[in-house]
Amino acid sequence: MLQAGLCDLVMDCGRPGRGALGVPAGGAADPDALAGGNRLVGNDADAAGLEIVQRGPILRFPRGAVLALTGAPFAARRSSGVPVARNETLALAPGETLYLDHARHGCRCWLAVRGGIAVSPLLGSRSTFLPGAFGGHTGRALRAGDCLALGVAAREVRLRRGRPPLRDAMAPLRVVAGPQAGQFDDAGLAAFFGGAYRVDAASDRRGVRLTGPAASHVCTELPSQGVLPGAVQVPPDGQPIILGWDGPVTGGYPVIATVIGADWPRLAQLRPGDAVRFATIGVAAALALALEDWDIRDLG
Amino acid sequence: MAKHGTGQPSAAPDWRWVGERGVRVATGAATLARYDALMACNFPEIEDMIPADDSILLVLRRGAALPPALCEALHAPLPGVVACGGALHEIAVAYGGVAGPDLSVLARQAGLAVDDYVDRHAAVLYTVAFLGFQPGFPYLRDLPAALHARRRASPRLRVPAGSVAVGGAYTGIYPAAGPGGWRLIGRTDAALFDAAREAPALLRPGDRVRFVPK
Repeated sequence: MLQAGLCDLVMDCGRPGRGALGVPAGGAADPDALAGGNRLVGNDADAAGLEIVQRGPILRFPRGAVLALTGAPFAARRSSGVPVARNETLALAPGETLYLDHARHGCRCWLAVRGGIAVSPLLGSRSTFLPGAFGGHTGRALRAGDCLALGVAAREVRLRRGRPPLRDAMAPLRVVAGPQAGQFDDAGLAAFFGGAYRVDAASDRRGVRLTGPAASHVCTELPSQGVLPGAVQVPPDGQPIILGWDGPVTGGYPVIATVIGADWPRLAQLRPGDAVRFATIGVAAALALALEDWDIRDLG
Repeated sequence: MAKHGTGQPSAAPDWRWVGERGVRVATGAATLARYDALMACNFPEIEDMIPADDSILLVLRRGAALPPALCEALHAPLPGVVACGGALHEIAVAYGGVAGPDLSVLARQAGLAVDDYVDRHAAVLYTVAFLGFQPGFPYLRDLPAALHARRRASPRLRVPAGSVAVGGAYTGIYPAAGPGGWRLIGRTDAALFDAAREAPALLRPGDRVRFVPK
């Protein structure tokens, strides 16, 4: 790594199944985008890549590499100055450099590399967990001078192009109401479901903090209970926090609603200043949307 | 939001959807026994189970429906009083001073001398109710009512690792440095969580803990 981006993290599909230890599943904020990139370079879906936020790194590949960029469109070019396309297989010659600049819109992209990033797994995953300083590359974001080894790819390489499911970035985030929606007064519910919020600068992988109309409620502290990423917690000040991928597995603030899995990829692309609105959807309808997949085809 | 009938209203546990991938089940005092029983069922649809205060969150795999046998499993009788199978841990704590900046205020609020507050805190054989908030963070049950304390109105930005704290009706230990709103009364050198260890969390739900003043 010649120059680090804002926060470059080694990520795979995370470490689900350890909630009883207080360990969140974590992993790529949009696991389908990382999995799509992995398919484009001939990896298994759960190979580790890089999750890149807002401003990317400069990376040199002494032995060349086969790569794919997915997620938000970033200004990206190779040594020759040729721009790098998103969602397709790219082959770099030995010694070539990849320059990743700012996100044109959205927040996060994923760099999948043929063979996957070969850091040692911890608790069943190669994902970085920053709050606990473990996983990934020594538990931290990458820095200039870091060297990452690559593993062996699962399949032969083919030039491919992928298309993610269509998403409307302007539509309200879809939520299933509850479990504590009943603790909110009418004004609080009206504020939450009718209001427009802004993403606060203090947001990170632990939570997306929102500012806007106060979602007032009557409860102060609840018993601690298990929570999922996407749960919208409302502290006493009424400003909602959408729990993120590295958020706590238990919480004691009332949860007014939970963002459905199909809209997690959109959560991953929120950046400070973005507008957010919410709309409710039923559990059955949310389940039916759960398995939208990428369309991936061979080129030529 | 819907509560789901289970066919046995008298004994029906309270279920609630939490998003389309989570179902929270009220389990009351039998939470850990029910957790063990559900773990033994090994439902392929369930990716994770998170026990907490009198409830368990069942996390479904993506796209999975509720296990057909879940209802039955939630109603299955539990083994009677479980023998205390949890391990006993003695944890050395430096109380007060820079290690426990909130101790004197908490003692005053409780109407106790600082030494009395410490004696009462260290006299209890606590039970680990569940882990949460941070990897390996234990919620220890059986804190004497006189020692209960509300959380801070605004959390500290950085609580040192090993801090022993009081939050509401629980006492706990911060395994890693980070933000936190509990009241800090002391600190331990014990390594509460190490991802590289065979058993990453020092304390498990059901374990017993006694604090030993240094």
